[in-house]
Amino acid sequence: MTEVAVTDEAIETKRARLAAFFAGARQCIVFMPSYVPFGMVCGVAAVQAGLGEWGALGAAALVFAGSSQAVLTQFLSGGAPLLMAVASGLVVNLRMAVYSAAISQRVSGASRKERVLWAAFLVDQTFILNEARHQRGEHMNHALAFYLGCAMVIWPFWIFTNALGAFAGAKVPASWQLDFTIPLSFVAMVVPMLKTRAHLAAALAGAIAGVALYALPLKTGLIAACVFGTCVGMLVDTFFKRKHEVSL
Amino acid sequence: MSEWGSVNGWLAIAGLAIGTFLIRYSFIGFLAGRRLSPLAERALQLAVPAIFAALVIPLVVMHNGELNWATRYPHAIGMVAAGVYAWWRGGMLIPIIIGMAVMHGVSALR
Repeated sequence: MTEVAVTDEAIETKRARLAAFFAGARQCIVFMPSYVPFGMVCGVAAVQAGLGEWGALGAAALVFAGSSQAVLTQFLSGGAPLLMAVASGLVVNLRMAVYSAAISQRVSGASRKERVLWAAFLVDQTFILNEARHQRGEHMNHALAFYLGCAMVIWPFWIFTNALGAFAGAKVPASWQLDFTIPLSFVAMVVPMLKTRAHLAAALAGAIAGVALYALPLKTGLIAACVFGTCVGMLVDTFFKRKHEVSL
Repeated sequence: MSEWGSVNGWLAIAGLAIGTFLIRYSFIGFLAGRRLSPLAERALQLAVPAIFAALVIPLVVMHNGELNWATRYPHAIGMVAAGVYAWWRGGMLIPIIIGMAVMHGVSALR
């Protein structure tokens, strides 16, 4: 009797995990249009930099981070030394350390294998979708299944758009401005997170610093803006907490 | 004919792929589920809107690396429209559609 019950439970768990996987996949579909123009540009650029069509695919599949792929190919095309090209690409990806730190607080209890999976597919989109789901307070059972559902939509699609650029050199008409869906998708995710004055201050300060420091090389302005925005947010947080305490 | 590219090219790809994985794995792997101090956790919560705002706003209001209100105000209005809807109702597909429609609409009107 007990065995039957256990099996039923196992089936139930499996079903819930599958449901989470497909929910993640479904919610990630809306990111797809934003991948098209940039993925193609990356594919074209990789071929022009001498990586070959298969190299373009390899970069898309193994690196899976468009801005750094673009920087790598840009430096290689310009005849920069190999190490410098790689290091520059890595600097562009430093923001992922922030995502890694934030997500590490959501995955306590994950095995090493699971942590490797969390890390492997950590990009802007998978991160912010997971974070938004967490902040909406949805129950986070099968969080990894949800996350992988998302990854299994956008990772192959990213490779596909790079392939379109590399093999066909295809381009979307610039007048469509499909790339504008990138900031729009992030706005849709982040705006509902701005629940406190501190969050709002952090976003405002980050935005201003992001524009002011845009000219810094290799997107390092992004990291500086993140630090600045966070500090401003913390100050506002402290200020309002203290005021609150005084009024008590 | 498709090309495999140079050995150097693949070395560069491998270097960037491994290094990027290590960045992604950094805190996930080495904290291994340990909790940060409440202060650090609070800072991380605020770092998320800060970094995404710093990512998004230049994409909206800047053109070729410069603040260009004359060509980018339709994008700014589109972003605000998408943001207001997302604040009100959430979701992602509809805010994106609204943002694109408003941006193209304002561009066509000017």
